[in-house]
Order: sequence, then C-alpha cells, then structure tokens
Amino acid sequence: MKSVRGRRRIAAAALGVTIALVAAACGGNSTTGGSAGPSGTAQKGGTLREELPEFGWTNNFDPTGEYLGYAWGVFDQLLIRGLMTYKHVSADEGGDTPVPDLAAGDPTVSSDGLTYDFTLKDNVKWGPPLDRVVDANDILYAFQRINDAKEIAQYGNYYCGVIVGMDCKAKDDNQPISGITVTDATHISFKLEQPTGDFLYRLSMPATKPVPVEYRGCFPKAGDMGVDVFSDGPYMIMGQDKLDISSCSSIKPLEGYDVDKGMTMVRNPNWDPSTDETRSAYADGVQLKINTSVDNIFNNLLNGDIDVAEGTPPISVLQQLETDPKYTGWLHADQGDRTWYVTMNLLAPPFDDVHVRNAANLALDKIGIRKQYGGELRGDIATSVEPPTVLPNSTDINPFAANTGSGNAQAAMDEFKQSRYDTNGNGVCDDGPVCENIEFLGRNTDPWPAMDQVAIQSLKPVFPGLKLVETDTSTGYTTLQQVKKLIPISMVPGWGKDYASPYGFDFFIFDSQGISCTAAVNYSLVGMTADQANECGVKAQYDAYVQNNGPIPSVDDKMNECVQKPTDQVDACFAEMDTYLMTTAVPWVPWLWATNFTSTNLDPGHVTQYKFDQNAGIISYVNTAVGNTETPVNVA
Amino acid sequence: MSQVQQTEPAIEVLVPLEGEPGRIEGRSPWQLFWTRFRRDKIAVGAGLAVLALITLALLAPVLAAHIVHRGPNDLGQNYTSDIGVPLLGPSKIAWFGVDTLGRDVFIRTLYGARTSLKVSFIGTGASLIIGIFLGLIAGFVGGKVDTFISRTIDIVLSLPLLLMAIAISVACTSVITGCLGGVLKQGTGIVIFIIALFGWPYVARIVRGQTLSLREREFVEAARATGYGNFHIMFREILPNMVASIIVVATLLIPQNILLEAALSFLGVGIPAEIPSWGGMISQAANGQLYRLAWWMLIFPGMFLVITTLSFNLLGDGLRDALDPRSNR
Repeated sequence: MKSVRGRRRIAAAALGVTIALVAAACGGNSTTGGSAGPSGTAQKGGTLREELPEFGWTNNFDPTGEYLGYAWGVFDQLLIRGLMTYKHVSADEGGDTPVPDLAAGDPTVSSDGLTYDFTLKDNVKWGPPLDRVVDANDILYAFQRINDAKEIAQYGNYYCGVIVGMDCKAKDDNQPISGITVTDATHISFKLEQPTGDFLYRLSMPATKPVPVEYRGCFPKAGDMGVDVFSDGPYMIMGQDKLDISSCSSIKPLEGYDVDKGMTMVRNPNWDPSTDETRSAYADGVQLKINTSVDNIFNNLLNGDIDVAEGTPPISVLQQLETDPKYTGWLHADQGDRTWYVTMNLLAPPFDDVHVRNAANLALDKIGIRKQYGGELRGDIATSVEPPTVLPNSTDINPFAANTGSGNAQAAMDEFKQSRYDTNGNGVCDDGPVCENIEFLGRNTDPWPAMDQVAIQSLKPVFPGLKLVETDTSTGYTTLQQVKKLIPISMVPGWGKDYASPYGFDFFIFDSQGISCTAAVNYSLVGMTADQANECGVKAQYDAYVQNNGPIPSVDDKMNECVQKPTDQVDACFAEMDTYLMTTAVPWVPWLWATNFTSTNLDPGHVTQYKFDQNAGIISYVNTAVGNTETPVNVA
Repeated sequence: MSQVQQTEPAIEVLVPLEGEPGRIEGRSPWQLFWTRFRRDKIAVGAGLAVLALITLALLAPVLAAHIVHRGPNDLGQNYTSDIGVPLLGPSKIAWFGVDTLGRDVFIRTLYGARTSLKVSFIGTGASLIIGIFLGLIAGFVGGKVDTFISRTIDIVLSLPLLLMAIAISVACTSVITGCLGGVLKQGTGIVIFIIALFGWPYVARIVRGQTLSLREREFVEAARATGYGNFHIMFREILPNMVASIIVVATLLIPQNILLEAALSFLGVGIPAEIPSWGGMISQAANGQLYRLAWWMLIFPGMFLVITTLSFNLLGDGLRDALDPRSNR
C-alpha cells in the first residue's frame, strides 16, 4: 500500500516491452523478458532458496488486506488459487492477461455487462488437513471478508460500490452480499452496479481468492489470518497439514512462517497439476529466508548458498554481474510496470502555481538520478504518468521535451518567470518566505540519499531555497499521507499498477477517493473537494488555490468515463486523461519507468530455468526450476 | 583577592634550573607547563597536527573557491560510470578522487573536518559548562545535593551511550517536525545535543572530586574569612585552580566526541547526508562494498579521522603530563 513495492504490477503492451528489451540489452550481462539466461533443462525437484532483507507486509500477509506486490505474487503463484489468475510469466509470454484458474472457463457476461456467471472446476481441493473440494461458498466468504469493515481490505474500493450490496461496512464476515449469488457448489455469479470492463482483472487479486468457510469468525481483526494462510495451490506453508481446524481456538500459527525469520513452503499433496495450466511447480519447496544484510545476501548468492536474490545488488556486486563474463545471464531486469516520480502538492506554495510545477519538470536531472539508482538497466526515463507497459504509447505524452533527461535549467528558469513567485523576472524562486526553506522530503536509505542530492542540485537553480529532509521509507510515506502536513515536494514515493489496466494504475493515486486526511495516497491532492479540505484542516490553502488558480484540477469524471469504455477504447481514454494530468494538473515529475532486478545463480545445481511473473512483478517461483537435490527445511 | 589566589600554587613556583644546580628561580605555573610540554616531542607534534587540521578546516571554503574550484556538493557525474561507480581516483583533477556523485573527496574531507570540529568543540564546550557547574555545586555544597548530583552522574554514565544516542537521534529525526517542540531536528544540532547530554558527567565527576579537595585548602578558608560568599569562592577561587584538569579533560573529550559523531553519521543517524562528515563519507564507501571499487572514498576520510583522534589523544596526554606531572596514567 505504501511503497512501490506494495503496488501490483500491471501488464505490458508488447511495444513497451520491446522498447525496454532494446534498452536493457545495452547493459551487457543482464537479461530481460523473464526467461532468458539459464541454459539447463527445467526439471522437477530440489528447493528454490532465496534470501530477502524483510517481508515488509502492509497487512501481516492476510490476503484480504495485504497490499504488497511481493505478497500478491506468493499468494497467487504458490498458495491460493482463485477464480482468475495469470500465467505467471513475463508480458511477452502473456503474463499480463487474466486467465481462468478455479473457474472452468471464461465467465458468461450478460449483454448489459452487469452480470458475470462463473462455473467452477469440481476437482480442485484444499490442502490437508481440510482435504475437500474448493467450492463457491469459499469464494463468497472471501468477499464477505472484504466487505467486513474490521478487516480493512486495503483495496476494497475495487469491489465496494462496484458489486451490488458491497460497501465495505459490514459488521462482520457473515453478512450476505446481495450482488453475489451462489447457486450450488460450482456456480457463483456477480451483479455489478455499472459496467466495469476490467472486472476480471479485479477477480484475479488475492483478496478475492477463496478462504475456507471453516475459518469464518476465527480471524476477526485485520491481518490476523496472515499466520494461517490456507492453501489450495501447488504449495502450502510448512506445518499446514498439522493444523487443527476443529475450532477457532485450536488454530495455531503455521510453523513454517515467522515474519522475522522467513517462510518455507512445501508441496500441497492435494494439488492436481491436471487442473492447473499456469503453474509448473518444478521445485519441491520454496524457502524465503530473512537476512537483514543485503551485502550478505548477495555474497551468499555468489557463493552458491542460495539460488535467488531480488532487488538492487550492492554496487560492487552489480558491477560484477554486469561486466564479469562469469556472471553472464545472472542479472535479470524485467519490466516493473511502475513509475518513480517527484510529487508536488497542489496546495503547498510555491507549488500551487502550475508554472512552478512545470519548471520542476524541466529542471529535474532524471538521468543523473537513474545513474545513482542502478543505471540504464533500471528502466527508461519517464515522460508521463503511466509506463508504456501499462498504457501503450504513453511515451508520446511528453510536454516537457525540452528536458531531454539531464535537466534543462535554462528552460526551467524561463518557465518560472511566468510564475507569481518570481518577483524580479530572473527565473528564480525569490518571493520571500515561500521560497525559503522549501522542504524536499527524501529517503535516507541507500541509494536514495545520493539520488536526493542529484535531484536537489538540479532543482536548485530555480529553487535555491530547497531544504532536504530525509527519513526512512515508511516514515516518508506516513508523512506524505497526512494531508495537513502539506509536504510541498518529495521524491519518496513510487507507484506501480494494481492490475493490468490503466485504471488499476491511476485510480487510487489520482482519484479524489485516494485522499483521506491521514492515509492519502493521492499525495498531490488532485481533485480534492472543498469538503475534504475542510475535514483535513487545509481549507485556507484550498481557498487560496481556488482564488489564485480556479478550481482544483480533477480527473474523477474522466476516470469514471474511461473505466466504462469498451476494452478497445480504454487506452485512448486514459491517454487523454494522462495528457491532462501532465499538461494541466502537473502533480508529478515522473522520472523513471522502472524495471525489476532479480539475480539468479546459474552455476550447476542452482537455477536451470528462470521465469518472471509480470503480474506480480517478481520472479515466478512456480515456473522457475532449480537443479539441486535439496529438501525444504524450515527457515522460520 | 589576587593575593589569596596566589597563595595556593606558590609551592610549585620554586624549582631548580636545569644545568644550574643550586640556583633557584621563580617561574609561573604556565612557564613550568610549557617547559615540560615542549620536552614531549610527541605531544608537540600532535599539537601541530591539530593546529594544521584546524587551519585546513577554516580554509576549506577558500581552497574550494580558489584552488579546487568545486564546492563540497558540486556534482561531477561525468566522473562516474552508468551505475555510479567513481571512475576518477586520486589525480591532478581531484587530489583524493571523487565519490559516487562525482564530488571531490578532498574538499569533502576538509568540509568534513569543519563538521567534526564544529560538532565536537561545541558539544564539548556544552559538556564543560554543564559539568563544571554541577561538579562545583556537588563538591562544594555536599550533602543531599552532592548525593543527588552524584547519583545522576552514575545513572547517566551507566547508560549505553551509543544505543541511547541512536535512540534519541532516530526519535528526533524520524519525524520531520523533530522533537522537543521542533527544537531538535535533522542537522548538526541533534548530534551536539547528544554529545552535551552524555559528556557532562565525565567533567562533573572530575570537577566534583577536585572541589572536594580544594574546598578544604587554606586559600578557601582565607577567602571565606575575608567574607566572600559561596558563589564567589566556587567560581573565583576554586575553579581557577582546576583549569589544568579541565583542559586535559576537554582535550580528551574532543576526540571521543569526534568518534561519536562519526559513528552516528556512519550509522545514518547523525549528520545529514547533505552535510559532509567523515562518518557519512566512510559509510558511503562501505555501502555496497564500494571501497572495493573506489578505495579512496574510504581511505582519505578514514585517515583524517584516525589522525585527528590520535592527535587530540596524544595532545591530551601531553597536556596532562605537563600540567600535572604527579598524575598516574
């Protein structure tokens, strides 16, 4: 929910991926596209071993509320099968399109687009000790949990107000939902409030995946179920077979998971590969071990103690992986479907003037920042809001072309001269206190301080009064989320898709529904209403904005219009919206359409086939194979 | 008044002259100190090193503007690779090489000296003021006041310094509004505060001990008989007689505080990255084992840190030997 790591990655258009492949191919040793690299043959068996610095869950790994992209990958690939899923491969292999999973086939959709009828496979079973067939009531129960106000489903807005009878305000997880009908164990239908072209994408999200009805009432608080995620997928968390589900009080946390130590997953003996077309499940087990030292993680990878490491390697290791022939193919840079950006607050002077925001777009040294972030392999320089992998042709939206990537101070100063904060026409912010000590919020964890420095230095010709304030990532997000703090400018946030449609990228970050006083994710306050301003204690700033500029720019109506468009018109509609955002609202300085880094040990006995899961934005554990003969051990 | 002050150290004034047995000549305590100090070549060398360091630190802006022509935060991205690996080591262009942002390590090292000296001098000064005041009060007043102050000293000294410093720094810098109503925010102020908070007990304990001894001496009795009040006796009679000890303590506290600042900055909870500091520079070099590719980023700030702390420590030892030759190390 908070960080870009918490966003679901969306699907990719072929053109965007092609561009990324060409760009990334210039990097040397690395691979892109999600399947290149290993030359061995994929085989069953062994254990896929990964170390990571932390899990970083947003809701304790409870599928109902968890909003971390990495968690979504673990749920969807390994543990829980739902009505719809993805192929768990890269975009160019079709990994960004929902496909039936528990559903026996595509749903029957009514002519008005308001009703979706699903028939379920009748032979997909829960793992032990439940050992029964997954039925439609388990899916209904997942929606009842979303609807339960206490569960705080963090992306419940994709369902509440969309499915008839869902408002996310139910008193518990046992309240009926009028818009969801279970006719028998293998039939479920959904009635929608309005046509929603991307509804199948929404049905592929983890919160909608079945939860055994035996769990009803056992986990009444948000996040509680995270220690007992029950599997109907190819793997289960070690110890699930020993679970006593005879009553709520007898259900103990699974022994194979400890948030501070790691998670071990072993084969679910009830998983039938003949019912599953998207998961190869090569390995006998997957070990995710917590190791707080990134240096040690990558040393362990190079030494052969583990098979996989994710994220940016230490710079010395990154150089090795990129240039040493011994490591050819070890580093994978896959499309992340995410945008890194500098956010500017429309209500915080001097950024309440569009010329000021334009000037920032012209001044920022995006290439310099990317260099500190890992270089060209890290992605393409962003010119607009949505990455081309989410919105095809978004590269055509480039209203600040005068900034070719390295920043154009002169163009920025020329633009700034048109603002009311330049009192003497020299293109520099000099209007008294407003231009002094402008807080620029950045992250204090490496490599961000270096990136902050590049940003600050490139903006200073126009904003000499910028004052860098750095915090850890979590504090940075928490600070930005509090509307009343009115942080003027920040490079803390990034944003990735929730699901493979532009709406799944834009909704929370630009719709006024993304503004709440203490948990806003629409940090720029695009589309803020007078009521929201009043409630959040920023009415004076809101009124000042309106007085100086007219109404706050809003994309609420356009967003609603676009989401109802037929599939073939959706992209064009969102392109119009993004153009408006970049030319009229200008809430961001987008600087990178980012890739994901995964490093795999390709020595004999390690990874023999690598696949990337485009939807999850992480390695496809379930379609990656290893050549070792290790049996899974409990790392928790 | 002045006569009273001079009664105490008179014992030390009459000393035989070197090479002239039998001849006695009066010397002031400071003359005696200087005579002893200059015989200690190591201490003199350390003192010169400290002076050189202070000079370099003061001249850093001048060197940046007129010799190197680059400021401490001026970027030179042409000197780094696509992934930010510094490509320029020690050379004519950059005497100490460049860092991941292409910034001049030489100038940043000198500015780092300014940061270290500023923080440690001000922090030590604050420790001295608090420690002297409380130590004098405790030693002179005695009784419950002494007990209270002494136990407070014990408590503060028993706290794990680094952990407490990290905790305070994180608490005050993890929110952008800072703490203590915004008085303590990110910057050098928080480090100075921590140094002062944890440094004063060392001073107070020594001052208290000396005060306990001095308050029983004749010159104090004389001052009291003359009619001077407690405040006057503490600060005008006793305090001047422990200047030597205070100088020694201060000299030894400074390197300790420089190291504390460097440690906090290394851990990312001290001086903000925007301000050059040796700890921050070493941390940057250690990050991602960057020193394997750019050794100069680690060696030069590390070398300055070692030389500085060593110099202050040797100077402090020399001062102690010269000011109080009867003391045991």
